[in-house]
Formats: sequence, C-alpha cells, structure tokens
Amino acid sequence: MLKFNNVCFSYQQDTLIHDVSFHIQEGEFAALIGENGAGKSTISKLCNGLLKPKTGDVLIQGQNTKTTKSSMLARSVGYLFQNPDRQICQNTIRGEIMFGLSYILKDQALCEKRCDRIIEQFQFRGEQDPFHLSRGERQRVALASILVCEPKLLILDEPTTGLDYRECVQIMELVRELHRAGTTIMMITHDMELVQDYADRVLVLNEGRLIGDGACEEVMTDMALLRRASVLPAQIPMLAMELGTTFHGVYSVNDMAERIHELQQRRA
Amino acid sequence: MGGFLDYIQGTSFLHRLNPLTKLLIAFLLCVACFICDRHLFVLGIIVLNLLLAGVAGKEVLLRSLNMLRALVKFSAFLFVIQILFVREGTALLHLPFGLVITDRGLSFSLLFVLRLFAATMPIGLMLSVTRMSDLSNVLVEKVGIPYQYTFALTTTLRFIPLFSQEMAGIMEAQTARGVEFDTKNFFKKIRLLMPLCVPLLISSVKKIDGAAVSTELRGFHLRNRNSGYKKYCLKGADAAALAMMACIMTCAVIL
Repeated sequence: MLKFNNVCFSYQQDTLIHDVSFHIQEGEFAALIGENGAGKSTISKLCNGLLKPKTGDVLIQGQNTKTTKSSMLARSVGYLFQNPDRQICQNTIRGEIMFGLSYILKDQALCEKRCDRIIEQFQFRGEQDPFHLSRGERQRVALASILVCEPKLLILDEPTTGLDYRECVQIMELVRELHRAGTTIMMITHDMELVQDYADRVLVLNEGRLIGDGACEEVMTDMALLRRASVLPAQIPMLAMELGTTFHGVYSVNDMAERIHELQQRRA
Repeated sequence: MGGFLDYIQGTSFLHRLNPLTKLLIAFLLCVACFICDRHLFVLGIIVLNLLLAGVAGKEVLLRSLNMLRALVKFSAFLFVIQILFVREGTALLHLPFGLVITDRGLSFSLLFVLRLFAATMPIGLMLSVTRMSDLSNVLVEKVGIPYQYTFALTTTLRFIPLFSQEMAGIMEAQTARGVEFDTKNFFKKIRLLMPLCVPLLISSVKKIDGAAVSTELRGFHLRNRNSGYKKYCLKGADAAALAMMACIMTCAVIL
C-alpha cells in the first residue's frame, strides 16, 4: 500500500529525513511516534505527496509521489490534519463534505448520495454551520469530509490533540471501524495509550531516522528504544516492567487483571 | 525557517545604527526613487540597496536577492500591462489587436518596474536589521507617537509572515483533499483561493483576539513614553549615514 524506499528529504540546507525505508501493507494500522522535531509530520506529508523526496521514492499503491500530483493522490490517500480549521471553508456541513468530493467525483448524483450516507453515519445536521461546532465536532466534520472520498489509506496527524476524552474516543472508534472495514491507517501521535489501544505496528523516529519498526507489543516494551526516541510507554506496560518478571508480557488492563487474578488463585 | 520580515541577528554597521536613522534612510530612499525620473539613478538606488545588504551580512544579502527574485514575476506582469497601455510617443512595434509598443511606453514601464524594486528593497532591508521592539520604542520615545499606534504597526508587520504560513498550511490541507492547488494554471489557482479566505479570516481573527487579550493582561494600557528602559541616542555613525542620505536626496532633486 505505502512504500518508502531510501527516502531522504531536506529543507534548504537541513536534512530532515535520512534514508528512511518501510513498507505498510494493505489493512495495517501503523503508528508513527517520536519526539517533537523527529520528522513525523514530514514523513506524513511525504506519504501523500505534499512534500516530494529529495532522493529515494515514496510509492502509494505503486504510484510514485514524485510523478503524481498531490491532488490526484488525494483520491486514494486521506489526510486528517491536527487543526480542522485549516480544512473547513464552507458555511454548512453538507457544503464542507461536498467540497473535497466534488474535485474527486464528477458525477453530481453520486456525490449527493455519498454525502447523504456520511451525514447519516456521523449523525450531522447537514445545514448546520461547522464553525459553530465544538473543536471535537469540527474534527469529526473534517474526518467525514475525508471519509466521503473513500480513501484506501488514511493518514491521521495527531487526530486527538485538543479533544476531551469523549471526543477522543468518538474519533478513534470511527477510525477503528474504518480499519476493520479494510482501510489502511497511519497515525502520528504523542499519546502512547492511543498507540497501545489501536495500532498493530509502531514506527519509531528519532532525528529523521527510523530507529524502530515492529509490532506494537514489541516496541512498547523495548525501553531502550523508547528512551532513544524520548518516548514514555503507556502506563500498564510501564507498571508491568516496574513490577518485574511476574508481570512479564502484561500489556493491557485486561492482561493485568488476569495476571493479578491468577496470582490470587495461586496464593489461595 | 524565518519569515521574510524577520530580524536577522548581526553586529554590522547597519545593525548598530539608530532604528530611527534606519527608518529615515529607508523612507528617503523610497522618496528619492520617485523624485528622480532617471533610470540610471533608480538603478543606482537598487545597487546601493544591495551594497548595504552586503554590508549587513551574507544572510541579509541573500534575503534581498530572494526578495528581488520574488518581485520579478509580479514586475514582469506590471511591465507588460504598462507597455501595452501607454500609447504616447513613437511607435517601435505594432502588435495584433491594435496594440502598439512605443518608446515612451517602454521607458515608462522600465522606470515603473525599477521604482518598484528600488522602493520595496529598503523597507525589507530596514526590517531585516532592526528589531520590531526597537522600532516601536524609538517611534514612541523620539517621535512621540502613542504606543498603541506603534504597537499596531509592529504587530501588523509581525503578523504578515504568520498569515503567509497559515495560508500555506490551509492550501496544503485543501490540496490533501483533492483541491488542485498544484495546478500550473495561474487563473485556476486564483479561483480556487477564494473559498480559502474563510479559514484564513477565522484563524486571523482568533490569533488577533488572543494577542489582544494577552497584551491587555500584561498592562498594555499602562504603557507610555517613559515606559521603555532603553535609550536611543543618535551617534556619529547616524550623522554620517544621514549626511550620505542628504547627498542622495540632493542628487535626486538636481537630476
């Protein structure tokens, strides 16, 4: 689905991305983590052709981003920005959802049909002004206007920043449903709880270099790797590591409850 | 990545001049190129600007050259418009649709474009070697302009690169959803830009509102002429620079 082949990217004299290679398969849910300035957003913009690599290639379903326009790539790659206000530009939710879609689909009837379906799915009121909604609701509108284009690959750049817990869960549950329906997801985040709860695979960036790539459990329990990337793991794996070998392999709240229950039974 | 109006650190002769002197020089250079009708004189002012930028440092010179490069496209457009619509003088070339290029049209268009370069560069150069806070303080202390007005001026200048970055971000967001900002058709791009005024306006109002609240909370209304601790005295170098400027103005008037 998404392939980085020895990609380097530099802005003026500064090299931001050094020789990054990875391959995300169709249907995967990958998280990209690392400290601020590690190059996460640059990688995400390379994924949809907003930035072109200096050397190496980025391939999306075999299409090279160097030779394909970003607006064309938008047909298969959806990108949810951290700030929905950069995206929303129409007076109604319906208008907003139709705006991007009308550039991708020329069939007006089909556009209307898809728009109605997504409005129903998200339970929006189509004629409502998106600027009068809360931050979380605006993020949902932005997500809806991307999903209506039915992208094969969805890139989420810190999708839950500034959202409260309820809004965060709403957005992430939608993303989970999409993933289950077969959409490939790449999520950039600083929230390790989200990574642990939703991602199958984790890519770790440090100073523009890919220093780790593996299954979520594997990366989240590799303290040395996370320390290099200035990242703290989620609370439960960290607690398990602190508690020692008895809790080895404990990764989620359910695992922890089961292990404690086992220990209680053994003692009894 | 600095904005094109950001201050560039340095200790050069230009950096050390009084901000008021730099402001006066920039203003007088602009005036000089409009007083004099000679192409060579205006070209001389452009060269002088580049020399001054060179004195201020490599980074300032690079920025001045970049500014020149950025102005070339716009100037070319204005040049073509001017040359086609000035019909006085001797005809040099007859074009289809009754259009004609005359000697006066050519001379006027050339002078117009040179003036555009010569009048834009000193302002950019002055802002590159002067801190906004110094500019604001000197206008309050030496010229007696109320702080509210100088603050409005410096804030406007400070916000220009921010808005330009915001617009670039908005265009990126729209391109990512299929809007063809990567088209090479200039007119199509302009048409696509129209709906983007809404998110830009909203983010601008939010930023300005935030800045206003923040300044009020830090005692903005209490500031007056005596609030600044820094004194901006005119020195020998300022006198020399102003004398040189007087010579240039005299030349502009005589020529």
